[in-house]
Amino acid sequence: MDWQGWALFGLLATTALTAVMIAFQMAGWTRLDLPLVLGSLVTPDPDKARIAGFFIHLAAGQVFALGYAAVFALLGQATWWIGALLGLLHVAVALTVILPLLPGIHPRMASTRAGPASRAALEPPGLLGLNYGIQTPAVAVAAHLVYGSLLGLLLTAS
Amino acid sequence: MEARHSPALADYGLLGDTRTAALVSADGGIDWLCAPTFDGDPVFGALLGGPDAGTFRAGPALPGERIVRRYRPHTATLETVWATDGGTLTLAEAMVAEVSGRLLPTTLLIRRLEADGAPAEAAVEFNPRFGERHARPRVRQDQHLVCEWGALAMSLGVSGGMRVEPGTTTAITVEPGRPVVMVLALAYTEPLVWIDPETAWDLVEADEARWREWASGISEDIPFREAVLRSLLTLKLLTYSPSGAPVAAPTTSLPEDPGGIRNWDYRYAWPRDASIGIAAFLGLGKDGEALNFLNWLLHASRLQRPRLPALLTMTGGHVPRERTLASWPGYAGSAPVRVGNGAAHQHQLDGYGWVLDAAWNLVRQGHRLNSETWRAMRGFTDLVARRWPEPDAGIWEIRADAAQHVHSKIMGWLALDRALGIARSHRLSARRRRRWEGARDAIAADIRTHGFDAERNTYTRSYGSMDLDSALLILPVTGFESPDSPRLRGTVDAVWSELSAGYPFLYRYPPGQDGLPGDEGAFLPCSFWLAQALALTGRSAEAAALFGAVLGHASPLGLFSEEIDPGTGALLGNYPQALTHAALVQAALALRDALLVEPVETTPLVEPVETTPLVEPVETEADRAG
Repeated sequence: MDWQGWALFGLLATTALTAVMIAFQMAGWTRLDLPLVLGSLVTPDPDKARIAGFFIHLAAGQVFALGYAAVFALLGQATWWIGALLGLLHVAVALTVILPLLPGIHPRMASTRAGPASRAALEPPGLLGLNYGIQTPAVAVAAHLVYGSLLGLLLTAS
Repeated sequence: MEARHSPALADYGLLGDTRTAALVSADGGIDWLCAPTFDGDPVFGALLGGPDAGTFRAGPALPGERIVRRYRPHTATLETVWATDGGTLTLAEAMVAEVSGRLLPTTLLIRRLEADGAPAEAAVEFNPRFGERHARPRVRQDQHLVCEWGALAMSLGVSGGMRVEPGTTTAITVEPGRPVVMVLALAYTEPLVWIDPETAWDLVEADEARWREWASGISEDIPFREAVLRSLLTLKLLTYSPSGAPVAAPTTSLPEDPGGIRNWDYRYAWPRDASIGIAAFLGLGKDGEALNFLNWLLHASRLQRPRLPALLTMTGGHVPRERTLASWPGYAGSAPVRVGNGAAHQHQLDGYGWVLDAAWNLVRQGHRLNSETWRAMRGFTDLVARRWPEPDAGIWEIRADAAQHVHSKIMGWLALDRALGIARSHRLSARRRRRWEGARDAIAADIRTHGFDAERNTYTRSYGSMDLDSALLILPVTGFESPDSPRLRGTVDAVWSELSAGYPFLYRYPPGQDGLPGDEGAFLPCSFWLAQALALTGRSAEAAALFGAVLGHASPLGLFSEEIDPGTGALLGNYPQALTHAALVQAALALRDALLVEPVETTPLVEPVETTPLVEPVETEADRAG
């Protein structure tokens, strides 16, 4: 397993994924703001949340990169297209499992079970993140293809 | 949906969150709201685009008799009360202005319908559209109604689980003791933040507390304090918080001549207005707001220095190219509706004077300019010293050929004079000082030689012209002439006499002298400048009377546009207008400084004061027609 590569390229790939997401967000393709969504897990201040969320996202990306490195070691090869395929699997899990489950653990995200004591809450992303814009799944796929391809390109299988 | 006629501008109230603003008609219709900022596209644009451009009305189901409409004292919360069968229906509404550090929507509008005495039949018409083509939203109903147009999304939550369908009118019965609260949230390129309607009003109450605290810091000795407070609060609402930029008005293309073409986009920031705002806020001890304005000015002008653009976007960018919205009928049929503003590329010498004067005011109040600020001011001053002989477009941004405007020259003189004043406490090379002094003296000699009509004892509008210019009323604040100078007094009297549009109004220059077809109204800031000039030249009683008389023509909510029809009293032009409100505050400050006027009123509604001015008003065409 390429531990050194994982340590460095995991961060690099996550940063690239985040940059792609933010670029599409700024261009108006999606309202999914991953740093805000993740950072508001720990703070209600949106500006601080974006900072915290960026680092949470880096950490999460590193954890996922571990899985990629393990698969490459298991297969005995690491190529950009295997990385891209893993990226597709990754984004499918993110859009269909992680995002829809977020309201269950997120203290500042709206849930259908919330009562009148609730004050302000982020709109939940919904299935495939569609609540944050109809192009959100496409943007997420593009970002994860970049992430997976980079890891496939940069990691070694050993 | 049935089309409504264009309500009078004075019927509109302003709601704001210091990022964008809404105009609410007296029947409870939000007919103007741009997103995500003042200069964005309208999501409710019926004011200019007709019913297809969208509105959000909440009020009685059948036209009800309106009892009262007011801002809650010293807040930005608007209340409209209608009489209903056996009781009243009250619409209270506000946009929450302060969201820093909290998980709240950047734009949040909360409206509450409350019945008193008996159940009231009400109606909610929610029809958001977006942009030039009145695009319908992609709609979904979740816990809240969500409307989306790509990067922009809007949610509407209503208390009691009530559902509203876009494009339809929903009938509701409001029971006494059970208010209906509507929460409108906007999000641009970020997730929506939902607020529970059942608890949303708490946010408005917190917002009101913040405004009251802010207002309590305004000194008690200011005459016409309530009107001044409403003006300051309006100026605050017209300030774009993220940058500190003051927007000239939240609207575009409200006509200076109903049915005519004098329709301009004012949803940008003019350095001139910013500087006048600095003086207004500084005069009342609000140094923070003044410094914010100056910081924006410095940031915004950075890329084009030493040139000072006539106007900029709120983030300091280039104002979009001027174009017309072809299918928009305009307010009261006044087409074209324009976005962007072609005046952005004009050379306006007076702007430098206003900016240097603002910096000088800060220095006089004990602030020291940092090296970057002083470097910027030196650059502006050098430009004035170099370019003052050139003709310019002048303060009124006339789109004909440039001219040698006397007001612009005076403001050029002011720029140099104020820069030399600042240099008394800041570093300046002797060579530069001599150059500035030389230019200042040359401008003064030039103005007195070419811009003064000795026969009529008045300065004129431009070199060689017999016309006058109401902008010359700012002479007493410049120090170009001493307060007892016959030239100054002669100019004030001549302007008042020759440009009078009927007491207490003035035209900014002789009507019809700007190369455009159609008429225009009296220019309201000029009336306040006249009051200021009178106060500064020892005619305080006349100044107070004039001031009170102009206040009597404010909207019922104490708001002013840029112009007024002197015949009918109808407000004209973009609304509400920051320049008018800043001029109002400055006139009140001059009155205070004159020490002859006691604080005389306690409510924003000031009855017209009937007085006999020393200069007889000129009979206008409207007077003759009437």
